[in-house]
Amino acid sequence: MNCNNNYKDPMEVLGRSKGHSYEELIENLPRHYEFNPTLLQQIKNIPEAILRNHGSSIAKKINRMVKEVFKEAYRAEQFTRTEINNKSVLYGVVLLKHKVIDIVLKYFHKRWPNCVICLYNEYNQKTGIINEEGIIQEVKEPLQKVIDRLSKNRSISPYFEDIEFSNEEIFEALYQSQNITERENLRFFNSMIPKNCYKLPGMRKGVEKKYNNKNRKLDDFIK
Amino acid sequence: MPSTLEKIRILGSNSKYDICASTASSRTNKYPELFGKSKNWIGATTSAGICHSYTPDGRCMSLFKTLFTNKCIYSCKYCFSQSCKQKLSFTPEEYARIFMKLYSMNVVEGVFITSGVCGSADDTTEEMLEAVRLLRFKYKFQGYIHFKCLPGLSQHLLKEAISLSDRISVNSEASTASFLSEIAEQKDFKNDIITRQRWLKQIRIKHNEDVLKELKDKKKEYELKYQEKMIKEYNQNGYKKFRWDGAPILNGGQTTQFVIGAAEGETDLDLLNRIDWQYKAVDMRRAYFSAFIPLEGTPLAKRNAPPLEREHRLYQSDWLLRIYHYKLKDLKDILTEEGNLPHGDPKIHFARQYFKNHSPIDPNEASYQELLRVPGIGPISAKRIINLQKQNYRFQRRIQLKSVGVVLKRADPFLKIDGQNQMTLQNFLNDDKNILFQEGIQ
Repeated sequence: MNCNNNYKDPMEVLGRSKGHSYEELIENLPRHYEFNPTLLQQIKNIPEAILRNHGSSIAKKINRMVKEVFKEAYRAEQFTRTEINNKSVLYGVVLLKHKVIDIVLKYFHKRWPNCVICLYNEYNQKTGIINEEGIIQEVKEPLQKVIDRLSKNRSISPYFEDIEFSNEEIFEALYQSQNITERENLRFFNSMIPKNCYKLPGMRKGVEKKYNNKNRKLDDFIK
Repeated sequence: MPSTLEKIRILGSNSKYDICASTASSRTNKYPELFGKSKNWIGATTSAGICHSYTPDGRCMSLFKTLFTNKCIYSCKYCFSQSCKQKLSFTPEEYARIFMKLYSMNVVEGVFITSGVCGSADDTTEEMLEAVRLLRFKYKFQGYIHFKCLPGLSQHLLKEAISLSDRISVNSEASTASFLSEIAEQKDFKNDIITRQRWLKQIRIKHNEDVLKELKDKKKEYELKYQEKMIKEYNQNGYKKFRWDGAPILNGGQTTQFVIGAAEGETDLDLLNRIDWQYKAVDMRRAYFSAFIPLEGTPLAKRNAPPLEREHRLYQSDWLLRIYHYKLKDLKDILTEEGNLPHGDPKIHFARQYFKNHSPIDPNEASYQELLRVPGIGPISAKRIINLQKQNYRFQRRIQLKSVGVVLKRADPFLKIDGQNQMTLQNFLNDDKNILFQEGIQ
């Protein structure tokens, strides 16, 4: 496989040897909100080495799109804050531009296999539901209505009703207790939670927001 | 009577200097019946974990990390609980419920349970274990649990902790008995720490071997093959491949933590010697380093804090030992006269030292170990290069190396491609061919 000047060097397009396989791209590209079916045709015409390693402008575009899809799903898994009611219905609000609600629902299903999980997507105003068997459906109904409907025929299993504090209070107490002020590193902190994350429903009122540089008041800096 | 919220605040802040990773276990899918047969399990473990939040110091917050109690019979000079006047304890039920509440909110991935020693290590551990039992068997929590082994814990309780946890840590705090006695005089280094670390290794191996026998009896071929492969690799490579991912219990292995700079005179060499021994002798998965922070109200309040860079260099060196499989004697060569690591990346220091006596390496000919000596080449890119060598592929230009993940700006001075090496400024000045340039300088 020695190269000479006439032979197109395959290594030139290897990029950092990262990227996704054909199967992954074909499966996940249609999740992107700007997906166009002609893109799938184009994928089939590009050699895998080029596609996998961002070797052309179209390959770069496709990889960027798939990256956006996975990133959004991961952020939703990270920063969606959920609640559970006494009928084993776990619910929360998400903001998903791409069609990744099934990935996020499966993530919660793995953690709470005995609960029905409802996630309301603010972007398309639909509620995604996954039941105990792992069957997914999406309905164009507000979250509360879906929760009430699903809770109706389920038996009561009191989870945490006797805890008198709100979710926010408990998390804030834990969060603030973990901060080592002597090691404060806001630059690193901001890179870990970029400003876009504060637009997600779970983070809008999050305690983390107080520490974001842009939300700090002059007094905080003087102190 | 303090509220649960108050307890989280105080006991959480008492434990904030303890270091842990996010979930480091991938056991759930392989052993769905590890904690008994049930269809109602809650929780999952993922090997890399998900960080649900970050604190303003940039550390991720993925585990519910609080002390179980901050009452303690020990008076370690560096410890936060020394200065904390309010002494509190969780009840096992309270601890388990509050964790499950946090888990339902999707803000934590698992538990890190640690404690002061109230009464005796066994009494406190019994309470901690009760909380873990409640999590595992009442709340059916199947996710990640990191359990802290208290100094002087009995073997039977350690056995139970192993069977219920994903990871156990025994804090070494210092590298030797004398340094430990300086900062925590009541602790016995050999008995309280080393013996417990040895027990952890023995119990875990024994348990895993028993599981193997059981698998053979039940003729579970697939799992058996996986286990045997892991054990074979482990036996062949010693501590180099100490990861035993197939382990049914204590999947995350055992870890330890050192307080850096609390004991006067403790050098990086002392710490590196200790972790090297622990990797070899007690099957340590990894070590954590926590730079000492002088706290008001503690006996060491006026001692200077070590630079955070020291902690960072130790992590880099630990990585070289653990992942790159450098020998300890390689690292000794780059230490300063005082036995500390120099400023800057230890790998670059090592490469400069090494390539003084060796010529730059050719990636087309070099072995895996040689490639790993070059800054900018990590295990993944080294493996890719070796794979390409096997396919008779020859690198002819620098850019080709970039495409396999090599960081060229670091690697260039130490590489020779097609007989050519990037000239460093020093080499350029010393080169006899540049007579004109040298004359110009004169």
